[in-house]
Amino acid sequence: MNNSTGRLILTLTVLGLVSAFILAFVFQWTLPYIIKHQAKAQERAVFAVLPGASDYKEVEKDGQVFFEGFDQSGKRIGVAIKATGGGFQGMITVMVGTDPEAEKVYGIQVLEHQETPGLGAFITGEKYEANFIDKPFGDYKVVKRPATSPYEVEAISGATISSTKVTSIVEKAIKDIQRAYGGGA
Amino acid sequence: MQLLNDFKNGLWNENPTFRLVIGMCPVLAVTNTMTNGLAMGLATTFVLLASEIVISLIKKLIPNDVRIPSYILVIATFVTFVDYFLKAFFPPIAASLSLFVPLIVVNCLILGRAEAFASKNPLHRSIADSLGMGFGFTWALLLLSAVRELLGMGSMFGIQILGAWYQPMVIMVLPAGAFISLGILVGIMNYITKNTTRDTHCH
Repeated sequence: MNNSTGRLILTLTVLGLVSAFILAFVFQWTLPYIIKHQAKAQERAVFAVLPGASDYKEVEKDGQVFFEGFDQSGKRIGVAIKATGGGFQGMITVMVGTDPEAEKVYGIQVLEHQETPGLGAFITGEKYEANFIDKPFGDYKVVKRPATSPYEVEAISGATISSTKVTSIVEKAIKDIQRAYGGGA
Repeated sequence: MQLLNDFKNGLWNENPTFRLVIGMCPVLAVTNTMTNGLAMGLATTFVLLASEIVISLIKKLIPNDVRIPSYILVIATFVTFVDYFLKAFFPPIAASLSLFVPLIVVNCLILGRAEAFASKNPLHRSIADSLGMGFGFTWALLLLSAVRELLGMGSMFGIQILGAWYQPMVIMVLPAGAFISLGILVGIMNYITKNTTRDTHCH
């Protein structure tokens, strides 16, 4: 009777419970460290996408968190936002730094993603992120060749979907910032 | 003596990468830099060791019909542990291995050794087997990533070795480079084995 249904269910249930119990402890133990690293990564990203900023502060507007960057004289030089959207496989989080007055993007940095390593994962690479350096606000077009106009984004070869998804996340981030900061004026 | 043989088995005769050719997904995917190769090798060794210990201890309690799901549960527990551990204490490594840490669960090297060895052998032999297989896997990953990083970026462990005169072969860090270098290395291993052991034992 070693293989009776009851025995099978019992074995897997006990194993599952023990495993869940152990992992609950591991999770509790590692979570504070993981949160700390994420906060540090976020801080690095804010400074990376707001060049020239020496300090920043978090501002909440309409339920959204913005990062306002200030230079040494205390002048606001730009606004960054953490934008999230669906990627090719799971969510992508991108830090987008902008100058709402000049209506341009300073730069972006991908914080989290689950894209295919070797293909879509290149959205974290300098070559792809460079697409968005000093880009004017607007609707962008993803192209499969080097960009010729400032409104074009060069796709990663073999990862057009990932490239397009990040581009639309950036577009959404720009709209959020424009809504909160008016832009232009 | 038997323990030593169990240990040495994984290092050469049944090296998972070069001889058994199992667990290829991480082998091909993460060996573009030596740091990644070493980290993946050690993470897999840890999961293999811990899983073989537990499975060897509980093998008599597990009904035959549910042994595979039970092994996967044990393996998944340790893989999740490694995943959290790397994220908490080695975030750069966790970021560069990203998806491949959770994928250790389905590395057939681990399930293969659990099924073929730990479920049939006592604890001490399972430990020797897992260490042999784990280190065999690790040195194979290190060798492969050394070839790829040196040719593809001119560096080892991120330190530039070859000077500016060297034009990096970008293909070596791309997936195709993994297949090319793995194929050549397996060929070399086969050639060496053919010449040293005159095929005395059966396969």
